[in-house]
Amino acid sequence: MRLTVNGTEHEVDVTSDMPLLWVLRDELNITGPKYGCGIAQCGACTVHVDGFAVRSCQLAVGDLAGGHVTTIEGLASPEGLHAVQEAWIEHQVAQCGYCQSGQIMQAASFLETNPEPTDEDIDAAMSANLCRCGTYPRIRAAVHAAAKKLQEA
Amino acid sequence: MTTRLIVASLTIAASVVFAEVEISPPESATQAEGLDAWSRIFDVASHPRCANCHTGPSDRPMWSGPTYGTTRPHGMNIQAGDSRMGVEYLQCSTCHTTKDTDWDNANLMPHAAPRVAMGWALAPVEADWFGKTSDEICAQLRDPDLNGGRDMLEIAEHLNHDLILHWAWNPGGGREPAPYSLQEHVDDILIWGVAGMPCPES
Ligand code: FES
Ligand code: FES
Repeated sequence: MRLTVNGTEHEVDVTSDMPLLWVLRDELNITGPKYGCGIAQCGACTVHVDGFAVRSCQLAVGDLAGGHVTTIEGLASPEGLHAVQEAWIEHQVAQCGYCQSGQIMQAASFLETNPEPTDEDIDAAMSANLCRCGTYPRIRAAVHAAAKKLQEA
Repeated sequence: MTTRLIVASLTIAASVVFAEVEISPPESATQAEGLDAWSRIFDVASHPRCANCHTGPSDRPMWSGPTYGTTRPHGMNIQAGDSRMGVEYLQCSTCHTTKDTDWDNANLMPHAAPRVAMGWALAPVEADWFGKTSDEICAQLRDPDLNGGRDMLEIAEHLNHDLILHWAWNPGGGREPAPYSLQEHVDDILIWGVAGMPCPES
């Protein structure tokens, strides 16, 4: 089976019902997406498929249907970090970090569809990404900061 | 809030093969038979597998039913927005992924987000059924302004082609399926339709 991750095409020998997260971590050694629950309850495994956030533990690799996968490893461009990553560093969002690649991928996808979010919008978009360290106030601040950067870009 | 709706990639994957139901209306049906059919239709429409996503302007899907503990809005502060697909916030499809292959085994895992071979979504806002009575839902379902402009055959066809509805009878994950069967439900819609869509007196 062939799939494109972060712009690189890979050939993997797996069954079509293997969750994308397993393929990324165990077959391709792309370990930015994390395993937290395996049942769409935590968001740690969030990646983009064609730019949209998807819980990679919930998507069978056979159902990718040619979609291009982006993980946290591929979010930045050669010119620099993504605005969300920059804002995350400026606001020192991460504590232990385990949930953070999922948070950043969710926020980046959200700002594509809602570029000027209110606090309530951010809470609606980000509440399914759990953070056991409770970094939520910094996440909210960083999403606002990233939105501003993207507006100005 | 400025919202750029990006819906292109949320279009329904229609290529999947699934069991078709037979749509053959009876030649005639009495008012009593129609009301009898309606009572079974209400059993289905008010069942959690259907009603949980038939919520109104609040745009919040519900969690209710035997496997969900107390009745409450969907956890995680989920809001489906005007798009009814969460495009403005968190798309339903982020967790309720599209499952095109191996459909029979799509929903084995308890507590995981159910998935079908199309984009997950709330029912349209005018199909607000959650917590409503039999006569209220009946009046809504026979009103073309509230049922998507459908006659009884089109309601039956809609049941045949909307895979989220098929899922209601095969929900997996330890969830209780909707009562009767999809075929029986379609047959009841047709009996009720031929009888003139009678509604119970309130
Ligand atoms: S590991 Fe995928 S949502 Fe928790
Ligand atoms: S930073 Fe520790 S889980 Fe979120």
